[in-house]
Amino acid sequence: MKGWRGSRQGGDSASSPVAVERSLTSSSSIRLGRVQPQAPGHRTVFCNDRDANHLAKYKGNAVSTTKYNVITFLPKGLYEQFRRVANLYFLTISCLSFTPVSPVSPITNVIPLSLVLFVSLVKEAFEDWKRLQNDMTINNSCVDVLQEQRWESIPWKKLQVGDIVRVKQDGFFPADLLLLASTNPDGVCYTETANLDGETNLKIRKALEKTWDYVAPEKASEFKGEIQCEQPNNSLYTFTGNLILQKQTIPIGPNQILLRGCNLRNTEYIVGAVIFTGHETKVMMNAMNVPSKRSTLERKLDKVIATLFGVLLCMCLIGAIGSAVFVNKKYHYLELWISGDSQQFNPRNRFVVFVLSIFTLITLYSPIIPISLYVSIEMIKFIQSTKFINNDLHMYHSETNTPALARTSNLNEELGQVEYIFSDKTGTLTRNLMEFFKCSIGGETYGTGVTEIEMGAARRNGLNIKEKTASNTAREKGFNFDDARLMHGAWRNEPNPDMCKEFFRCLAICHTVLPEGEETPEKLRYQAASPDEAALVTAAKNFGFFFYRRTPTMIYVRESHVEKIGKVQDVTYEILNVLEFNSTRKRQSVVCRYGDGRLVLYCKGADTVIYERLASGNDELKKISREQLEQYGEAGLRTLCLAYRNLSPETYESWNEKFIQAKSSLRDRERKLDEVAELIEKDLTLIGCTAIEDKLQEGVPSCIETLSRAGIKIWVLTGDKLETAINIAYACKLINNDMKQFVISSETDAIREVESRGDQVEIAQFIRETVKNELQKCHEEAQHIVHGSTGQKLSLLIDGKCLMYALDPNLRSTLLSLSLSCSSVVCCRVSPLQKAQVTRLVRKGANKITLSIGDGANDVGMIQAAHVGVGISGMEGMQAVMASDFAIAQFRFLTDLLLVHGRWSYLRLCKVVSYFFYKNLTFTLTQFWYTFQTGYSGQRFYDDWFQSLYNVIFTALPVIIVGLLDKDVNASLSKKYPQLYKQGIDNAFFNWKVVGTLACFSVYQSVIVYNFAIASSTTGLTSAGKILGVWDISTAAFTCLVITVNLRLLMMCNTVTRWHSISVGGSILAWFIFIFIYSLVFVNKGTYFTIYVLMSTAYLYLLAILVPIVALLGDFLYQGAQRWFYPYDYQIVQEIHRHEPESIGAGLLEVGNQLTPEEERRYAFALLPRERSKHTGFAFDSPGYESFFATQQGVSAPQKPWDVIRRASMKPKSKSPRTSRH
Amino acid sequence: MSNTTPATHSAATEPPDPSSPRRNSKRPKYSRFTQQELPACKPILTPRWVISAFMLVTIVFVPIGLASLFASRDVVEIVNRYDDECAPSGSRNDKVRFIQSNADKTCNRTLTVPKHMKKPIYVYYQLDNFYQNHRRYVKSRSDQQLRSRNKENDISTCKPEDTVNGTTIVPCGLVAWSMFNDTFSFSINNNGQLPVSKKDISWKSDRDHKFGKDVFPKNFQNGTLIGGAHLNESIPLSAQEDLIVWMRTAALPTFRKLYGKIEVDLKAGDTINVVLKNNYNTYSFSGKKKLVLSTASWLGGKNNFIGIAYLAVGGLCFVLAMTFTVIYLVKPRRLGDPSYLSWNRSPGGH
Repeated sequence: MKGWRGSRQGGDSASSPVAVERSLTSSSSIRLGRVQPQAPGHRTVFCNDRDANHLAKYKGNAVSTTKYNVITFLPKGLYEQFRRVANLYFLTISCLSFTPVSPVSPITNVIPLSLVLFVSLVKEAFEDWKRLQNDMTINNSCVDVLQEQRWESIPWKKLQVGDIVRVKQDGFFPADLLLLASTNPDGVCYTETANLDGETNLKIRKALEKTWDYVAPEKASEFKGEIQCEQPNNSLYTFTGNLILQKQTIPIGPNQILLRGCNLRNTEYIVGAVIFTGHETKVMMNAMNVPSKRSTLERKLDKVIATLFGVLLCMCLIGAIGSAVFVNKKYHYLELWISGDSQQFNPRNRFVVFVLSIFTLITLYSPIIPISLYVSIEMIKFIQSTKFINNDLHMYHSETNTPALARTSNLNEELGQVEYIFSDKTGTLTRNLMEFFKCSIGGETYGTGVTEIEMGAARRNGLNIKEKTASNTAREKGFNFDDARLMHGAWRNEPNPDMCKEFFRCLAICHTVLPEGEETPEKLRYQAASPDEAALVTAAKNFGFFFYRRTPTMIYVRESHVEKIGKVQDVTYEILNVLEFNSTRKRQSVVCRYGDGRLVLYCKGADTVIYERLASGNDELKKISREQLEQYGEAGLRTLCLAYRNLSPETYESWNEKFIQAKSSLRDRERKLDEVAELIEKDLTLIGCTAIEDKLQEGVPSCIETLSRAGIKIWVLTGDKLETAINIAYACKLINNDMKQFVISSETDAIREVESRGDQVEIAQFIRETVKNELQKCHEEAQHIVHGSTGQKLSLLIDGKCLMYALDPNLRSTLLSLSLSCSSVVCCRVSPLQKAQVTRLVRKGANKITLSIGDGANDVGMIQAAHVGVGISGMEGMQAVMASDFAIAQFRFLTDLLLVHGRWSYLRLCKVVSYFFYKNLTFTLTQFWYTFQTGYSGQRFYDDWFQSLYNVIFTALPVIIVGLLDKDVNASLSKKYPQLYKQGIDNAFFNWKVVGTLACFSVYQSVIVYNFAIASSTTGLTSAGKILGVWDISTAAFTCLVITVNLRLLMMCNTVTRWHSISVGGSILAWFIFIFIYSLVFVNKGTYFTIYVLMSTAYLYLLAILVPIVALLGDFLYQGAQRWFYPYDYQIVQEIHRHEPESIGAGLLEVGNQLTPEEERRYAFALLPRERSKHTGFAFDSPGYESFFATQQGVSAPQKPWDVIRRASMKPKSKSPRTSRH
Repeated sequence: MSNTTPATHSAATEPPDPSSPRRNSKRPKYSRFTQQELPACKPILTPRWVISAFMLVTIVFVPIGLASLFASRDVVEIVNRYDDECAPSGSRNDKVRFIQSNADKTCNRTLTVPKHMKKPIYVYYQLDNFYQNHRRYVKSRSDQQLRSRNKENDISTCKPEDTVNGTTIVPCGLVAWSMFNDTFSFSINNNGQLPVSKKDISWKSDRDHKFGKDVFPKNFQNGTLIGGAHLNESIPLSAQEDLIVWMRTAALPTFRKLYGKIEVDLKAGDTINVVLKNNYNTYSFSGKKKLVLSTASWLGGKNNFIGIAYLAVGGLCFVLAMTFTVIYLVKPRRLGDPSYLSWNRSPGGH
């Protein structure tokens, strides 16, 4: 401990400002898991020295994620099962049935229980087996380890702390490693963390300078470092430790750590030392059980079961009181017992009689609670999710080759009751796919594409623009531009070729993109933090300025057609300074030196900031460009202005000094850098502007429209700016001009003014007051409109900072009530935490069923907070999908997921659940009626086996079939009439009224079944005059019951497939087969030969016809009358489309509506607001890539890219804690 | 089926082998089942269906009901309660003492045949308020013992009538112990004896399989309390038809059991003298005893229930069919009228 402290101090004293920065940033840690970071201790790792490490007994690298092993499976698995109240109840009943108070033999309860347990355990075992196989694959995958100056391939599980490993390109890191060396110069390597946090941009890790050389195995084997570091913890973004190498102590930060679960990119291989292994790696420490969600229906089910239990107790009470009261009178033979051991029927001790009778009757009536209910529901849901949802071709996205995935089968029916959808924007509503669409160079506009918005406008004006067929074959991703005047070097003939050249060079040079892969135009891929950037560089490539390589100081561009058409030459530009983009600057500049020594500053940024900095003169160009910018903005495009400035060497040198000064300053560095940048970013010459299309996901507007017709309210929670969010909301049809908009924003002049004064307390107070007033004002107005007759729809737009105050407990209720009266709500600039808070607000506060959909790590919170979490899959990020309950590839698949699968699942499960109650209640009630005839003695009416097989065989399968196959209207009608979904929101099919009705029918039917069977059997029933005994009558009654109950299921069905008939017929048949065999084999049973005796009587046949018909008459009457006088919507829809044949396999090519998604989208754009756009596009919306260049430049930048909060709320971050703390 | 895989666990499970083919199509295979497009018929309960279903029930049920009712009406049944009159008048205690005493319990009853009775005429005894379906009672028997000699000592279920003086009782248990032991003999019009056949009064399956041919009564009714009939120890149980009938326990507290058959036609107005031995004690629980003479139809004895039920349901369905027809005429609704859709009924409301 002492040594560690000492070395730590040494590290501090030796540390440059770099180390100070690092230690400060690492304190603001982000945790994915719920587990708090553990108390810091330390561990010492001796690299390359297994013997030394052996003493420390570190855990191996093998991981196990299984729940059980061979020994623990049974006890642990059973324990898990009996944690369910229902199973515990049946266990109690089973135990009771072994005692003499039981009227039934133990098999009655033991068999169904063991069957249920067996099925559940098999399922558990199967799932665990899959996990085990997964683990084995991982543990046995190989990695190169240094052994005696050679790389040896060993499986991951053999890896030990302190080993030196080599990981090749695209390989996964087998454990948490300390990066020692990389094949890249400067010890840099790139990692992809998509598996950890869903971010696809590459992260940079840089080895310590001292260790750069240990690349070759011979050299690496000489490495004898000692690593002292913190104990394993779950904080992904922090690491503190020291490397003691040759008696020197060097601090290590997260920048040198490679985490298990990430993989290596753009680097041939790296060499690293293992620090944490197996379960001690950060990713495994973060592994946590996602809290399993239970559906609302299931919770309702619990209440119903509790009610049933209450009914059961009442029945027992009635029976027991009867037993205690009537015990003495009739049973002369009981006298013989009283002297014996049994006290149950001792008339002299009525209290004992009463108590014992309760136990007897509970055992007798126990089937009132359907034992197979849970296991059946689980089975149904499992098949629903694995067979239907996962295999739905409507939800298969061929472009990303992603089918839908139900990650849990708990929530299928919850999908049918969603009332609020919380959606992320980027990557969910939009594709996060920016396409270079148009540009304007020197006042000339290029690009023949027509956006949907323009198309819609034109159509409204009566023009019919035919869509230009996609002539240029396979377009490159990010480039949707076609204009013969610019392509293939044709720009040389344009009026202003020099301007064009500058334009293209600016695109090719002024950026922070990384090239990846082979250096040919076809194979090279660009890694950019923001897709806008990638689109711009791709555009440059297509214009003949192919940027293919970057070193920290150079940019290599392969230029075509510059001197003359067809000539290709490689040109290098020296990058002298990079003035980074941030949200206050809204621009980005690069100072570069041409081969001939020319110094140019290229700048690109938002039009407002660029225009402020243009050199005077050339007003004509500025005016024309501004008009074009407005046109682009109107067309829904994101615009950027490009400009340049030639620098004289003297100007540059003097400026550069200031820049370096600012860069190395310790206090307020960002602000100082900004100020220095201002000095050079002036007197710019405008080159032109670019227009990038932020593509909406396919079919989003129509999907949103459909969902809102279904009564679902959609909220957009985004980290974007207010304007961007509004733009997208318009495009998605969330907001339109007819709506009353309430905007609560912190970007007002008043707030800015207070903020500029800088007093935190004052700012907070001021904003709180403002938000409070705004909220109350809006709320009053909203109430006025809602209660008014205009029927105007409302929308609320609020930004993150205001939301922070609005979520305050005092204001929360106002916010909730205001937002609930709005049909759409847009929250922008919200942090992941706030997303989760808003979700929780509605979930808890309004008690509505919520669904969250998102694609990134910043959506994890809200996905977990909502009732149902949906992740967008198919992109490379996994974090959202990992946290989600359902993963779909496209936002528009929500229509299918909710309106089709959700609704059907809800309907089906309601049917299944209510049917279970019905059948078991009916069964038990016949038993109950019999109790009155037996002197309350608790004599069973049915044979043991009848009772135990009733649930598991005679009535089990059909209900599962219904749970799988029943559908009221087919899929395309479900989408055509989204309003049908409302019945799910209102929970119309499983409420107390439904349960009550059902109970009435149960009572009625049980009375019919029991009394008819009894009343018609009092005299001799054959021409031979013989009389039937109790077992004969009960067999006849049971036959009637099985037929009735099964037919009743058929009556509940909306569709009857072959499987329905087979299963219903099969169940009835199963009963007959069973009884034929059973009554033949078991001579010692009362039921011996009963069915053959019965079959010789007319009684059985007459009864078997009469009872089901009479019993079902009530249902039939009810259904007929209900359908005719109070039809459900789905019934009307059924009637409307009753003559349409089911279209088989159709609709798999289209979304289901008549319009193709493309057409729908166009239609949606046509409905966009008409007024001229006030704001002109926004590029650089995706924050979080500032760090790259800083690292490249050797300037210390905190390890930010994983900082998820930062990603979402950029503005507050610009005054980063770092600066404010000093 | 909760999928509680740790969130980041699967992240780590990404196959570390990058060379694995990435572009395997994951397109689900089309099948009618997975796409939920199985062919199905979609019955819609239209008024026509409702009315026709009701009419169909009427058409089927009324004839069956009539047939059953006629069958039941054809049955001639004579019921005579004798427990009161065959006991000395007095308090209940007297009756119990009487029945438990050794006094002569012969009793004469006269019955008049109301209608012509075709042979065979079945003789039943009916016990009221005798809970043969009481839980303690029902299970106090041993089917194993009744069936086979080897299982003679299989008497665990027979308490309290399992042993007497340490030896096994055959047949054991309360059911056998409480066997009915009144006897009836009949004469017609004061002269000719009416022979009562006791053959084939039990179910054949019981005789053949449930009651052993090699099982003879043993120690039966040897205890301090005598429950009912004695059995001839030289006749195997399979031939003791009275016992077999008795052992087929009744479902209700009131039940009839077949006593025997009279294989002679009886004419209307015939008087039948019954000489009965009133041995069986129902006085201690105030149970009634009745003697029943009945013919049988194809449907069995006199029971109007099935016939009435069929007729009633048939009639009810007819009424319902008519009612529905009238209602549909008065308040028609076009099938599939979109204006009935909830969102069309209340415009703009959601």
